[in-house]
Amino acid sequence: MSAAWAVWRKELAIYAATPLAYVLAAVTLSLAGLFFWLGVALTGEASLRVMLSDLAVAQLFIVPMLTMRSVAEERRQGTLELLLTCPVSPGAIVVGKWLAALTLCGIVLAATGVFPVVLAMYGDPDWGVIATSYLGLGCVSAAFCAAGLFASTLTDDHVAAGLLGIVMLLPLWLLAGAERVLPRAWAERLAPLGLVGHLQSFGHGILDTADLAYFAALGCGFLVLATHRLEGRRWR
Amino acid sequence: MAVNPTGRRRLLAGADATLRSVLVVASLVFAAGLATRFRARVDLGFDQTSVLQPDTHHKLAQLAGGPPVRITAFTSQPGRPDAALKDQRLRDLLDEVELAADDVEVRWVDYDRERLTAEQLGVTAYGVVVVQRGEQRVDLHDRALFQREGGPEGALRFTGEPALARALAQLLTDRRRMVYTLVGHGEPAADSPAPDGLAELARLLSTDHIELRSLDLARDRTPGEAPQIPADADAVLVIAPTATIPSTEDDVLAAAVARGVPFLVALDTGTGVPSWLQRAGIRLGDGWIMDAVRVFPYVDRPIPRTRTHPITADLARQALVTVLPRVAPVMAAVPAQDGVMTSTLLSSGDEAWTERGGAAVDGVPVHDPELDGPIGPLAMALAVELGPASGLVTRGDTRVVVLGDADGLRNATLAEGPGNPTFVMNAMRWLLRDEAALSVVRPPAAARRLALTRAQLDTLRAGALAYGPLVALLAAWVARLGRRER
Repeated sequence: MSAAWAVWRKELAIYAATPLAYVLAAVTLSLAGLFFWLGVALTGEASLRVMLSDLAVAQLFIVPMLTMRSVAEERRQGTLELLLTCPVSPGAIVVGKWLAALTLCGIVLAATGVFPVVLAMYGDPDWGVIATSYLGLGCVSAAFCAAGLFASTLTDDHVAAGLLGIVMLLPLWLLAGAERVLPRAWAERLAPLGLVGHLQSFGHGILDTADLAYFAALGCGFLVLATHRLEGRRWR
Repeated sequence: MAVNPTGRRRLLAGADATLRSVLVVASLVFAAGLATRFRARVDLGFDQTSVLQPDTHHKLAQLAGGPPVRITAFTSQPGRPDAALKDQRLRDLLDEVELAADDVEVRWVDYDRERLTAEQLGVTAYGVVVVQRGEQRVDLHDRALFQREGGPEGALRFTGEPALARALAQLLTDRRRMVYTLVGHGEPAADSPAPDGLAELARLLSTDHIELRSLDLARDRTPGEAPQIPADADAVLVIAPTATIPSTEDDVLAAAVARGVPFLVALDTGTGVPSWLQRAGIRLGDGWIMDAVRVFPYVDRPIPRTRTHPITADLARQALVTVLPRVAPVMAAVPAQDGVMTSTLLSSGDEAWTERGGAAVDGVPVHDPELDGPIGPLAMALAVELGPASGLVTRGDTRVVVLGDADGLRNATLAEGPGNPTFVMNAMRWLLRDEAALSVVRPPAAARRLALTRAQLDTLRAGALAYGPLVALLAAWVARLGRRER
């Protein structure tokens, strides 16, 4: 656990030192502001539903960009071999890097906390719904960070890793429109795999075990695969 | 072929890692599948409007097994105020319906793009929801799905779920049931939207495909003929008459009871009990019930205790409180008369008494043994079953619900207590012998809207768009400062 903690600290320090994290934070917060404004202007509702659901889609592109250099950059610079020879298990490396990316996502999400405050100034928001919406966004971030990290273990080119992460996650988002292009029976079978359907309930204030399990499985699955990739590399 | 030790070790380690990864991923997929199959959904929203009401669930369950229900929803008119909000709310509801029932098929249709579907269904307006089951069909229009409170600029209330519940009830029972409420003696009218009216009650009953109509026995009759309760009456309400009901009309009510028409009688303190009900041994106490335990923040509203009965079973199960502003004790003869079976539905606690205007401390009435009436527990509502032995019914038996307060049914207070709609609806279902429909009913909540002027909206836009880059720049500057100091 202490090894994962050390990796987490090192990764966070790298994020703080590189401009990419600030650029991505600025992009995320700008989009959050835009979606917040659109939600208010379109529905006039004291709710963050529009912002949070659209922000989840935006994260599909932003989070892989954030995690793309996590392992790929270490491979490119040759520091991964050094790290793997340290008394640190591949699992601890993966968890440390994943937690660091998730922490950054959490900080950016916390910065959007100003929007519910604005809602409370001009209306009476349902705080239960806002809490579940943020929980949903947290689940999405966790799953996307894991997917991005796995993509980063597949190549030593970080841009390719970022694109690979997006390509891996994109089908999960596109499944929402599967019924328009696929036969109904197929669309119905694939629907439970879609990301949008599992996000909706969070936006309504509903905590659904199926949604929580979906994101947990998605996140853990990618983390296990990333660990497997690093373990394989250790024996190469 | 010989494998060198390093290669063998790699092969074993790789196979082991692959096997473990496959096992973990397979377990995760299995766990996710299990969680989906045995899913639990908890609504953490304050309004509790995101998941379907138990009443809607109940109706969907009643429809299961028959022909599938097909719901076709058309989009709202683009560009109209609240179009996006309306579509969002409707979509949420239909998503929940689709999740709740396997044999309900929901289709969302863009009215502008899929005109052919609209033409095939004969839909000529935006925002219509068509509910079909076999040959049956119910259309829900925008005005049934959304209502504005307090004029065109008022809060938008989404009434889609009660409207859908009504449509489902129509699919369940072809025949619309008629309930008449007596007027002409100071009673509130069925269609009155005034605070003391019954329009909300009528709307509530309509979700069970029940129509509530006012009935003035003195006026609504054929000239030259004696007044009578219409033959299509499934039940009659007598709610807070302030004047004495003439004996001729009282006889008409007694004749309706004799032929088995069920009654809901809600009386205010000081009003007379219909003579036929008195003959069953039911009377109203003098004064109103006060209790040491009250509905917060009111100083004069007791918390009714639910007693064991099908009408109150859901209230007890869900711990829903019924608010009755000024309830008189309802008393039944002891021992009960022949052919009369009474059950207490709601009662006060042990520390209650019948207030008659005695002593008060800081404006809060306290028990005055000299002036005040009997002490608790006191019955607030009774369910009465009248058999032929009572001499009041000529064939079969009939049911009556007696409530010691009429305010709980009026527009102003019907939705005030979380248990009021459930109590009223279940009382009516019990009277109509529709026990299968007994369930929890909750009133729809208003949309939580922002109160913003145009100038505030513009400020909000500028602030929201500038916020992100400013925060990121600030964070980068702070990080740079920190590095310099190190």
